[in-house]
This record gives sequence, structure tokens and C-alpha cells, in this order.
Amino acid sequence: MRFNPTELSSSELALQTEVRQFLKTELAPGTHEPCLGMAARKDKSFSMKMAERGWVGMALPKAWGGSDRTAVDRFIVVEEMLRWGAPVGHHWVADRQTGSVILKFGTDEQRKRFLPAICRGELGFSIGMSEPDSGSDLASVSTRAERATGGWLINGTKIWTSGAHENDWFVCLLRTSAMEDGNKHAGLSQILIDLQSDGLEISPIPFLDGSHHFNEVTFNDVFVPDENVVGDVGMGWHQNTTEMAYERGGPDRWLSPFSTIEQLLREAKDTPLEQSVQSLFGELIARYWGIRNLSLSVARLIDSGEAPSIESSLVKEMGTRFEQEVIEKLVQLIELEYSPDSHSLFERMLSQCIVTFPGNTIRGGTIEILRSVAAKGLQGLPV
Amino acid sequence: MSKLIVDELITQTANRLFSEICSHEAIQNAETVGEAPEIWAAYTETGFPWISIDENLGGSGGTLLDALEVLRLVGYYAVPVPAAETGILGGWLLSEAGFQVPEGIVTVLPDQGPDLAIEVDGSQVSITGSAIRVPWARSAEIIAILFHDNGNNYVASVQASDCAITPMTNMAGEPRDTVRFDGVVCSYAEVSKAIDSQSFRFRGALSRVALMAGAIEKMSQMTVSYTNDRVQFGRPVARFQAVQQHLVWAAQDAALSRMAAESAAIEATRGNGAFEIASAKLIANQAASRATKACHQAHGAMGMTQEYPLHHYSRRLWSWRKEYGGDAEWSQWIGQLAVAQGADGLYPLITGGSRVL
Repeated sequence: MRFNPTELSSSELALQTEVRQFLKTELAPGTHEPCLGMAARKDKSFSMKMAERGWVGMALPKAWGGSDRTAVDRFIVVEEMLRWGAPVGHHWVADRQTGSVILKFGTDEQRKRFLPAICRGELGFSIGMSEPDSGSDLASVSTRAERATGGWLINGTKIWTSGAHENDWFVCLLRTSAMEDGNKHAGLSQILIDLQSDGLEISPIPFLDGSHHFNEVTFNDVFVPDENVVGDVGMGWHQNTTEMAYERGGPDRWLSPFSTIEQLLREAKDTPLEQSVQSLFGELIARYWGIRNLSLSVARLIDSGEAPSIESSLVKEMGTRFEQEVIEKLVQLIELEYSPDSHSLFERMLSQCIVTFPGNTIRGGTIEILRSVAAKGLQGLPV
Repeated sequence: MSKLIVDELITQTANRLFSEICSHEAIQNAETVGEAPEIWAAYTETGFPWISIDENLGGSGGTLLDALEVLRLVGYYAVPVPAAETGILGGWLLSEAGFQVPEGIVTVLPDQGPDLAIEVDGSQVSITGSAIRVPWARSAEIIAILFHDNGNNYVASVQASDCAITPMTNMAGEPRDTVRFDGVVCSYAEVSKAIDSQSFRFRGALSRVALMAGAIEKMSQMTVSYTNDRVQFGRPVARFQAVQQHLVWAAQDAALSRMAAESAAIEATRGNGAFEIASAKLIANQAASRATKACHQAHGAMGMTQEYPLHHYSRRLWSWRKEYGGDAEWSQWIGQLAVAQGADGLYPLITGGSRVL
């Protein structure tokens, strides 16, 4: 395990300045309702504006409409968007993972069909992993794709599917052959499914505050043509795990409460802060500086061709717990009875943090699973 | 942008030397005796104490970054010598004032001797009063004292043998002596305005950050290896999820504090690095608190014995956490700075640090 301190080059700093200028123009502070990190609003026109600047599909080659930028450049754009609370929800999944999966494992036909549209910020993707009986034990998924003439027939149910009611496409991990004894990782495949397909039913799973992000997606003999299988049939598990390992430690795992902290300072403008609150700012800013340096160094490791999977697991586990700690400390120190309907934006944001942040240490792999991955890595065992 | 990189030879040499001379027994013995002349002799042979000090003044040359890398490894091996005091604290004060650094140990007054009366008399000063928690004063040749007079800053170079020294220790058994000055007369010289009690405090904090990062990393590694060897219920205890949590949390704190220490070292070498040093000390203080708890818990009763070396690191960390500023001091300092940036300046402070101030 090694995290090297790294600094931004002058061209990287120029990109940072450019993104800040863009955000100042598009979303002037005080004029927009900031989102809380990666659980951001979907705003297709905002996504397309970012895309015009080359900030969607940054990791993808120019030949497919991308801008062929480094992991650090992508880090800079994502970091600025999230700390600003920008509405990046529409392109988030495609930009972060689907584009790379299609580039890496897809056919030229699939690349031509999806990548340029992703890079224009047009396409929204959902991801189909969890099922009613498969959560952390993801390899036990049982939604089946069975051979049919020219394609596959799909039956089963996916849950916790964010944005399925608004997105265009669905990348699913499906069982394409029966589970063999002792090797449940075999026989899984990744398949692209049009969310408008016949036999596909989307129903909301209301979030604890009644809002609608999650869905249950049911397949009743949904037909998908052969050309929608990504990569090799039966290799879905491998594709799925390599896809995410290094992305774990990015800014989305520690920036979710930042816009709320900033808003507190904005609203406190004319009232001097109590000493205890001022000291809390000191503590949070120091921790943010430290965690950001670790997270940035993971991006730099990726650019130097390394595979920092332990490092990124450690950062994600720490970052998501930190997000919750930030909010807990604000709650402890600030004597307010906040309401989600308050006239104060800070109070509205804080209320939303409180009710949504328990999910931060669950989504995309629970911290308990991350700990066992990281601990094996620390002991030099295969992860 | 200039690239600031540690000379690799320094890391290699320090690792080789410290692993040879700092056995568990040697560290324990230094604590019992109250000093470790053989370890100090081996340490000085490499020129390590005087890295970053001008060669014309008896130093070894090199950068502050190099000196801090040695300190990190001093922390990692719990080397029982006054490395920070002789080098980047005391040696720095003396050389900034144009004094030659001596061959022996140099120490400083961490609390700046608030109870000292210093009278300037021509080319000499007379010092009366006492100072507490002076590291290794009992073994020192020179005590370097920073003082202010008429808006200027000066360094006095006191012969330790002219003082009355009462041995005291910190929680790790490291010498932190009480020094009494009874009208001690010594020479002094002016230093630049930039070297004042605040910049001295930051430099002291920077030295502790490097030591702490080393010690936390060592503790984290010891804990991984101990829990792999220790078998209970028929398997290594590291296989239990509840234990893995401690391993992961300690490794995170090791990574966080080392990153903070190295980033602060870079900024302090380039400029004043005040934001980075303050943040790094606060991070190291909090990391020390969490990591000592996690590592002790994972070691069980064994970690609570003198026989097992975990305490060399945990007790040093508990002491260093409070030296040159605890959590309250640094969180207030950073908080005031952060709030003064206003809402729009908050994130640029995190990304740009001292360079945007």
C-alpha cells in the first residue's frame, strides 16, 4: 500500500479554473439548490452543456467521441461538480462506468452505437445488480437470460435500480447458465437492455422520505437481441468486478456533505460563528484536505498504470464514514430544529443529509464488505 | 512548478541503520537509563542530525524535506534520540542566527520559556528563570533560545552545563527535563523577522507530524502481523471481521497521517506551509487517538505488556499528540482561517492550501 503525495500540473490547474468559471456562470452560488454529491438531480440540458466542454466521457478515446483525458483530469471535473452540488445525475452512471465497460468489453458495433451518444451527454443508464435475494452476495443473482432465436429471453427481478423510470438503458448482470457447484462466479453475463422493452415493468420503491429514486424492475420474457451482450457470455462477473475496483475512492465518496457546510457559512455571513462552530470548520477543512490528497493520489496511481484496489477500498470506507461524521458533528453543535420545508437552504440541505446519509456507507458495496476486501489486501492475500 | 522529492539514499540509509540499532531491547534500555549515547553516536556518524543546515555552519546540507523524511523514520523505529531538537528546531535556530552548530546535542524550549527574564547586555545576554519539558536537556551541549527584544528576534546559545537540570519524562519515558537558569550569561545573535514564536511553533508541530506519521505506520503494520500470527478458535484472529475493522481503521490512519506529513513537508520546504502544517498536526493528533485505540484492541492483553513493543509507539504518540499543539489549538487556528475565506473561498483553500493565501 502506498499513497504518494501529488500536485496538480499547470494544465490541470487550468482545467480546474475553467470548470470553476463554467459553474459560476451556469450555477451561480445562491441561485441554485445544490445537490448532495452523486445522488444528484437529473438535468439533461446541464449534462449536454458539460458534454460540449468535453467533460462527459472524459476517459473515452476521441475516436468514439470522448476526450481521452487522464484519471486526474476526470477527478478534477468530478470534484468541482460535486462540491458545487451540480445536477450531474443524468450522465453520472454512463460517464463513470458504463462507457468504460462498453469501450473495454463491447463490440465495435456497440461502441459506435453508444459511446458518442454517452459523450454528448444524451444517454442515461441504470445498473442492474441487486435482486431481492442478492445484495452483498452479488454473485448469487438469479435473474435468468435464456437462449432464444437471435437473442435471449429474460425473467426475474432487479431492485434498488436508481433512475430506471427516467433512464434510457439498463446494464444488467444476469445468469446465462445454471450455477455450478463451487463456482458461482461462472455463468454470469452483462447485457444491455432497453428500458422501453416489452415485458419490462418498472415500479417505484419509495425512499424513506417518500421520494422516488429506487425502482423494482421485473422481466417477463423480455427479449434482448444477441448484439446487446457486452463482452463474452459467462464473463460478466469478471467484467463487473474489474470495472469498479479503482473507482471506489473517488470524490463522490467524501464530498456529499460539502455543499451543506459551505451553505452554513454562506447563511452565517453577518453573524459571527461561535468558537465551537469555528473549530469544527477547522477540523472539517483539515480532514477534507487530508482525504482529498489520498483520493487524488489514487487517481494519479491509475494514470501511472497501477491497480490501486486496496488503496481505493480504504479511501471509500474512510470517506463515506467521514461524510456521516461531518453531519453528526453539525447536528451536535448547531442548536436548530431544522425542517425539510425551512426557508433556510442550509436547514433544508441538512435535513436531507440526515435522512439520506445512512445510505452512503451502504451504496455501491457496504463498508463491511469493503473492510474484508481491504483487510485481505493488507495481509497480502488475494482480494 | 518545482518538483520536491526526497533523496532516496536517505530513506535507504535510515532504514538500514535504524533497523540495526533500534531493537526492542535498545529502546527499552534507553528509557531505563534516560539516554542512549551509542545510538546517538551511530546516528551522528551519518550526518543525519544536521540535514537541511548549511554546510558552512557545520550542517550536512540537503533540504528540509530530506530532514523530515529522517524524522519520519525516527518515529517509525522509535529511535531514542533528540533528532528534531538537534536538527530542524535547535540546529535551525542556531544556524539562522549565524552560529556554528556544535557536535553535540542541541535542544530548545518548546514552550518558549514564558517564565524567563532575558536581559540584553552588549554582546551577551543574562537569563534567569526556568523552563519545563525541555527534551533531552540532561544530554545537551547547547540550549537554543528564541527571544524578542524591541521588535527584533534573537537566538541565545546557552551552554547546558551552565544550567541546573532536573530529569523529568513524558509518557513514553523520553527526557523532558526542567531547566533552571540562574543568571546564565551567553552569546546571542539576531535572526530574521520571519523567525518568531509563531513560526517556531509551526516548525515544532511539523517535526512532531513527521515522527507521528512514522509511529502510526509502524503500529499499523505490527498489528497486521500480530493478528495474522495469533490463533484463536482455530484460526488467525485477523480472519474475524470484528478484528479486520481495527486493521482497516489503523491502516487508514497510517495512510492519512503519512500523506498529511509528506504534503506538509513539501509545502514547508517550498514556503511557509502554515495551513498544511496546522492541518497535518490536527490530522496526526486525531489519527494517533484512533489508531492507538484500534491497535491496542487488536493486540489484546499482549499489547498492554512492557515485553511486547507496541507501547514504544503508542506511548510516544500519546505524548507527541500534545506537544506543539493539541487538537483544540490547531482546530481553532484552522477554523479561524477557513471561516475568514468565506463560503466561496472554502473549497479553494482545501485544494490550494497555503499557495492561495
